[in-house]
Amino acid sequence: MIQSLILSTLMFGAMFSVLTVSLNLQYARGGMINFGTVAYFAAGAYAYAIFTQEPPSGLDQYAFGFDMPWWAGFLAAGAAAMLFALITGWPTLRLRGEYLALTTFAFAEVFHSILLNERRIGNGSVGMANVERPDPAAIGLGDTLGYTLAACALMLLTAWLFHRLLASPYGRLVDATRDDEIAAESVGKDTARVRLQIFVISAIPIGFAGALYAMITTLVAPALFSAEVTFFVWIALALGGERTILGAILGTMALVFFQELVRVIPFETVRGAQIAASAEEVITGILFILVLRWQPWDRLSRKAGS
Amino acid sequence: MTDTILKLDGVVKEFAGFRAVGGPEGLSFGVRRGGFLGLIGPNGAGKSTTFNLISGVMPPTRGSVTLDGAEISQLSTAGTAALGLGRTFQTPRAFGSLSIIDNVMVGLAHPEEGPLAAMLGRWKPAERQFLGRAEAALERVGLAGRRHDSVSNLSGGELRMLEVARQLVREPRILLLDEPTAGVDPALQGKLSEILAGLHAAGTTLIVVEHNLGFLMSLADSVVVLQNGALLAEGTPDDIRRDPAVIAAYLGADHEA
Repeated sequence: MIQSLILSTLMFGAMFSVLTVSLNLQYARGGMINFGTVAYFAAGAYAYAIFTQEPPSGLDQYAFGFDMPWWAGFLAAGAAAMLFALITGWPTLRLRGEYLALTTFAFAEVFHSILLNERRIGNGSVGMANVERPDPAAIGLGDTLGYTLAACALMLLTAWLFHRLLASPYGRLVDATRDDEIAAESVGKDTARVRLQIFVISAIPIGFAGALYAMITTLVAPALFSAEVTFFVWIALALGGERTILGAILGTMALVFFQELVRVIPFETVRGAQIAASAEEVITGILFILVLRWQPWDRLSRKAGS
Repeated sequence: MTDTILKLDGVVKEFAGFRAVGGPEGLSFGVRRGGFLGLIGPNGAGKSTTFNLISGVMPPTRGSVTLDGAEISQLSTAGTAALGLGRTFQTPRAFGSLSIIDNVMVGLAHPEEGPLAAMLGRWKPAERQFLGRAEAALERVGLAGRRHDSVSNLSGGELRMLEVARQLVREPRILLLDEPTAGVDPALQGKLSEILAGLHAAGTTLIVVEHNLGFLMSLADSVVVLQNGALLAEGTPDDIRRDPAVIAAYLGADHEA
């Protein structure tokens, strides 16, 4: 039981960490509030499913299934998230702060509604089941272990690439753009381009994570991609402290661990499980409020700094 | 025929119907290549707005601004900066999360500043060379000893010098300074005066908004006086000091010519 708890925490923790690490880049470094995170995640998952699914037959209502290998679907997921970021970022990035947050949230809701109501994309509310996926047994690994390793690899690669991206003159330019756009412009920097680049670059791993999520659950359906996912990763980011990549990962791991912990308790009754699930949400909310109120990570970093 | 590098012709800027710059006929004046122009006038005369119109922070409502004959009034700030124009701000602007040396490094047009170069690590060789240039600029403005300090530890005057350093590394052809001596102590003012004289001697065109006339008049070779957004007078520092209209509007009657 302990082993399965650790594995599922690592698997979902690493996968969602890809989202929080990307949000960390967008928000803490780029200064952009994206409340539509789930849309890029969903774009990746749906692109993966559409590229790998067999062509429609029988009762299927989706219009396209390209029956391609998993790696092609995986690449398509990154490309789809990138494309979606370009389309949504280009008209909205002139907006600041809460205006951008509202617009991205609205984009995600519209996207969710399209997935739900336009059945030719992915069977509407039913979604696409039995999503193709590589079998970890091919390299001698168990299912959960295989996908845990894949999620960890994607997380570490994302964190490493973003770290390299920011520890450079480009990172300096990103910080300068966030701190004072007019001053950055006055030394010839194209700040609109920098903001769009960061928005698009950080969406790509979110798309890959979406593909991984589709592989793990073998299902893509609108119900899996509601605004709750966005709030979940924002809470995880706030819990871990939004300043550092490591903080984003630790916050996500802690939040996922907490959820998985409730899941492994062998409840005697359905009622007991329901109460535990509700209590878990209440406690997550209280934790979130406590962290926001007392900002323990800020205090720690100030102590370390002085 | 003098060689004009920057020319304003009939420039008007209105904010919701209020004419901040332009007066009845629009604002027109030229800046000589390699010249040192002082831009003075009472508070609210439109000096900083004129800087904003030249540097592309905002476009004029009407009129044209040309740099070397090319229209620049519709360019962005980054666009004018790319043409070799540099400026500082009335309220100094700094990048709060960056160290002092990084604040200056941002001023450099790093050839490997893109995201791909960052991930591939291609930026390192150029960075070392640029670090030397940034350090030299900090040396010139007297901040060399504090290169790794945070900008939040700088005083208002030091922030101004930091802004000057960020422009110095870019070696702009034409540099606009907005009240560079405000809040700067006399020792640093001396240093600033030396820097500006050095730039002037090296051929950089300078336009300086300043209320400290002792500082400005000793450096400038021509002066433009604005009042209510319109040109009140234009001439050499000596002409301006003796101009009765300027004395009445700005210098004050008890001004010693």
